Amino acid sequence: MAAPFTLRKIGVPPNSANLTEARRRVFDFFRAACRSLPTVMDIYNLQDVVAPSQLRFAISAQIRNNAHVTDPKGMEELTDIVDHAKQRHHIIGQYVVGEGLVQNTGSKDQGKSDFLKNFYTSNYV
Amino acid sequence: MGVGILASRAIRPASRLVRSQPSNLFLRTIVSKPELQSPEAAAVSQPEPPKNQILPPRNPVGGARVHFTNAEDAIEVFVDGYAVKVPKGFTVLQACEVAGVDIPRFCYHSRLSIAGNCRMCLVEVEKSPKPVASCAMPALPGMKIKTDTPIAKKAREGVMEFLLMNHPLDCPICDQGGECDLQDQSMAFGSDRGRFTEMKRSVVDKNLGPLVKTVMTRCIQCTRCVRFASEVAGVQDLGMLGRGSGEEIGTYVEKLMTSELSGNVIDICPVGALTSKPFAFKARNWELKGTETIDVSDAVGSNIRVDSRGPEVMRIIPRLNEDINEEWISDKTRFSYDGLKRQRLSDPMIRDSDGRFKAVSWRDALAVVGDIIHQVKPDEIVGIAGQLSDAESMMVLKDFVNRMGSDNVWCEGTAVGVDADLRYSYLMNSSISGLENADVFLLVGTQPRVEAAMVNARICKTVRASNAKVAYIGPPADFNYDCKHLGTGPDTLKEIAEGRHPFCSALKNAKNPAIIVGAGLFNRTDKDAILAAVESIAQANNVVRPDWNGLNYLLLYAAQAAALDLGLIQQSAKALESAKFVYLMGADDVDVDKIPKDAFVVYQGHHGDKAVYRANVILPASAFTEKEGTYENTEGFTQQTVPAVPTVGDARDDWKIVRALSEVSGVNLPYNSIEGVRSRIKSVAPNLVHTDEREPAAFGPSLKPECKETMSTTPFKPVVENFYMTNAITRASKIMAQCSAVLLKK
Repeated sequence: MAAPFTLRKIGVPPNSANLTEARRRVFDFFRAACRSLPTVMDIYNLQDVVAPSQLRFAISAQIRNNAHVTDPKGMEELTDIVDHAKQRHHIIGQYVVGEGLVQNTGSKDQGKSDFLKNFYTSNYV
Repeated sequence: MGVGILASRAIRPASRLVRSQPSNLFLRTIVSKPELQSPEAAAVSQPEPPKNQILPPRNPVGGARVHFTNAEDAIEVFVDGYAVKVPKGFTVLQACEVAGVDIPRFCYHSRLSIAGNCRMCLVEVEKSPKPVASCAMPALPGMKIKTDTPIAKKAREGVMEFLLMNHPLDCPICDQGGECDLQDQSMAFGSDRGRFTEMKRSVVDKNLGPLVKTVMTRCIQCTRCVRFASEVAGVQDLGMLGRGSGEEIGTYVEKLMTSELSGNVIDICPVGALTSKPFAFKARNWELKGTETIDVSDAVGSNIRVDSRGPEVMRIIPRLNEDINEEWISDKTRFSYDGLKRQRLSDPMIRDSDGRFKAVSWRDALAVVGDIIHQVKPDEIVGIAGQLSDAESMMVLKDFVNRMGSDNVWCEGTAVGVDADLRYSYLMNSSISGLENADVFLLVGTQPRVEAAMVNARICKTVRASNAKVAYIGPPADFNYDCKHLGTGPDTLKEIAEGRHPFCSALKNAKNPAIIVGAGLFNRTDKDAILAAVESIAQANNVVRPDWNGLNYLLLYAAQAAALDLGLIQQSAKALESAKFVYLMGADDVDVDKIPKDAFVVYQGHHGDKAVYRANVILPASAFTEKEGTYENTEGFTQQTVPAVPTVGDARDDWKIVRALSEVSGVNLPYNSIEGVRSRIKSVAPNLVHTDEREPAAFGPSLKPECKETMSTTPFKPVVENFYMTNAITRASKIMAQCSAVLLKK
């Protein structure tokens, strides 16, 4: 197997020079994240919980969501995860598409009124 | 205890002392002036205020209103140069209150008799050789009262010094810290140093029961508790033993305070001598958030303030309401809050096939109920509202059950055939504060001491103030005022109605007779005959007049008046026995054995009390401290509770559950917000929407048709067996259990 990928700390200046610079940095970040995925799955024992493709999907979704902000935050997050500074339930909760989300798009939501939807959510909606 | 204008003047730093040489740091030359040697010298040297100066207008303390019984009898006194008109008979302290000056006091309380033993209220009155106890001195015309002179200030400092001499250094461990009159007044009026170097005395603690914690070393012998117990509560439990510095407040014999108003001495005591035992060491008063709301443990609707810290109710304190509960609340109101933490229903549950409950989501629970309700015939649907239900939820329940095709929805406590057409037949028509004007009381089948302690306190006040006579028909009971026990059953009532009883003469000669009928009589089979007899007594003795309506009905539960106004009455006696779907909305006093074995029971409530064990589906609801609900008290005064703490677990508001259930069942109710429910209530019973207003009954007894039935001879039964355990919250409360084990008279 190839030598395990080591994460070099890339100091990212807060403001990129121009758009291409920013795009390059984002792609670099995505590449670094995907390459560190096997390590992450090993650290947190996520082998039977989630497939790497799902995690990649989650990462790309996050990048897409935050497309308008700079990404040193993403770098920090990645460093934290690889350093085992986070824990399993954080990873599962944040990056694994859970069952709660699935139920929201359930079959019973069409005919219900706002009142009923709010009622099911909480007493104080 | 308010600090007022006077104290703010006292806190301002004095700037009289001349500064000595700043370079000399170790020696300080003490400079003194003749004015500082004695208060009289200071008074002499004070410049006279210029005459005819325009003084700013002053408002009475606390926004109080002054009632002149006789307009010509007003006298004029001068308080700090300000002229004020007071009724004759006012004391100097009351005159100063009208003038907006708050005089410090410990032993004086506006609702108790005057003692004059703390001497903190001393003020200077011109032409008087020594300062005068303003709480006891009547205000004479032309008196010039001065409250901020050096003499008055010196007197206060002296009294404070004396009070603190024997007072233990308990502030860090005393529950009253933060709300202590002694702390506040010593900061505002006391001197900064004491001169006491001897040993302080200490006093042995007295055991007054599981509610009142006593640390008698802290007592300053103001005798407020003694006067309260003998005057307001009507029990002569407490007294002052000994003399001089050896004085102790106690019961002399090993006796517990069994009165139902015993918790009020906790509020009355200005220091930490009498504090709340359940609340001991739990919280400081500045951590607590006070929410002003209404009590629902009985039909009086006492105004309370719920002090909470986060999600937990820490204690309950009375609020002033002159018309209903003055400044007092009963022990049940005050101490049953710990029942709100036990046995709470927090998740919807469905009973499995093996008989055990399983927690489910709201969707599933409502889906199940919605399915089943369509499988029964409309006549077999029964809805019962509980004794703590608010008007909104009862309205939604009635609408839902009616739209499902059934007419069987009623409130606990209203038996078959209770007529809710005319409001006078179930309200306290003379209003609770109006009872003070009565001079003869006839209590029929009601024990107000256990049913509505505040009404009893009002009767006690009337008896004490104007020597009113009280006669009672019912089972032998305890009264804290002089009461004649006329009989135990309908026979005595018949005798009075026919004019054969010696009490009839007292009734005829009374100027304002009051008849109080207990709502427990509504459950009797001969109810119509009894109520007709009562009304004939009322008619014969001119009880109902345009200026005075003395025919009163004392309801038992907080939800009853609103239920009867909204029309939740029981039409047929067999409704429960032939029901297949029973919806219990907090109804725990229902006879569970009467429900058929194959009926599907839904219990919606906040405590796992009696009826839960029969339920098939449990829907958790919110308690009165967690919801905004409208309650009408027994005199027709509408009030609203305010949420003080968040709901427990997954519980919802009562009306929201019924509304959601109706939607799931396919019945579309035309409202989906609380304003919508209230506008629906407005079309049914508009008085329930006008909060903080009393709506008297419009018509009198003249409209009632004649009754042909005869009275049975069964004597009246007591309605409340255990004062401390009457509803779901009190039955879950540990303090109430302790009280009923220890304090009930056997």
